[in-house]
Amino acid sequence: MKLIVRIFALTLVVTGAVASTHIANASQPALGARTSALPVPMCPPDDPNACGIADPSFTGR
Amino acid sequence: MNSHNIVDLLTYIELASCVLALGVMQYRRQITQFKPLALFLLTRISSFAISMPLLSMAGKQINKHLAYQLYFYVYWASYAIEAILGFFIIYSIYNLAMAPLRGLQRLGRLMFRWAAGIAIAIAVTMAFSPHVTSAKFIIRAVTQLQQTQSVLTLCMLLFVCLAIRPMGLSYRSKIFGVSLGLGVMATAELVGAAWLSHFSSLYSLYNIVNGSAICIAIVLWTSYLAIPEPRRRMIILPTTSPFLRWNQISLALGDEPGYVALGEITPDMFAPAEVEVMRRAALKMNYPVAN
Repeated sequence: MKLIVRIFALTLVVTGAVASTHIANASQPALGARTSALPVPMCPPDDPNACGIADPSFTGR
Repeated sequence: MNSHNIVDLLTYIELASCVLALGVMQYRRQITQFKPLALFLLTRISSFAISMPLLSMAGKQINKHLAYQLYFYVYWASYAIEAILGFFIIYSIYNLAMAPLRGLQRLGRLMFRWAAGIAIAIAVTMAFSPHVTSAKFIIRAVTQLQQTQSVLTLCMLLFVCLAIRPMGLSYRSKIFGVSLGLGVMATAELVGAAWLSHFSSLYSLYNIVNGSAICIAIVLWTSYLAIPEPRRRMIILPTTSPFLRWNQISLALGDEPGYVALGEITPDMFAPAEVEVMRRAALKMNYPVAN
């Protein structure tokens, strides 16, 4: 059990390290989002279509 | 069930698990011990309480432009608050983990404050660029801050993982549980940012993965906070241990030093009261001799 927990924690660390390397090497600045299922509002607040917030399939982009 | 329904379901599960985790903390009287975590959960619940009605009422009871503006600012403001609270959670975990070694704890705290301060300054500075709008600035600054916090979180998880035995902790302790949950969130955050930079069209799948990750993290926290943890073991270090030596050195580092006067000292260097004290002391010391 201890070994599984340890491996899981180390996997998280390694995955995070690989992901941060990808972010650093991305051609454009990587814009993340909060760890949540809520849609991420990426459009400016004065978007003429309100980013489609009224649509049932609103994703925030 | 389409992806939109799954996202909706995950949103409700996330809100319910946040409330449950906070309830468990209150029931177990752990809010004072993990105050930043409680504040983090409270911020999430508040953000949900505002965002979810906005999303459902947009274009119906509330004008969609107003609803989107409110949603935008609530989302990014709560995200920024959560990122800052994340720093405080890491700080509190470090403090709790290092509690038996006060000297090293103090030294680490100093280093952490500097690292966090520099990281925040870099995050805000990197968000500046020519022709950047205020909305883009907010998004970039908050994202950068969160990514920095995620990297620090993973460093802390690695530290807790490696130092768990020397610190007298176990894998069932709350300190490890909280850092593991935070590690899940940090990894999801970093993978999400890397993912978005490559596959910018898979938002629904991204939201599902993100929603699942936060639910796992909160369930981990709730389980660790609900289950009683084993007592912390006594730390026994050999007298030659470098941990012990560094702890002693660190303990002495912050002390107010004593001062030694060197060279010729004349009476006019002292205050009249000091001269009077010395004169009386000299009289007392000379008293038996004078008799």
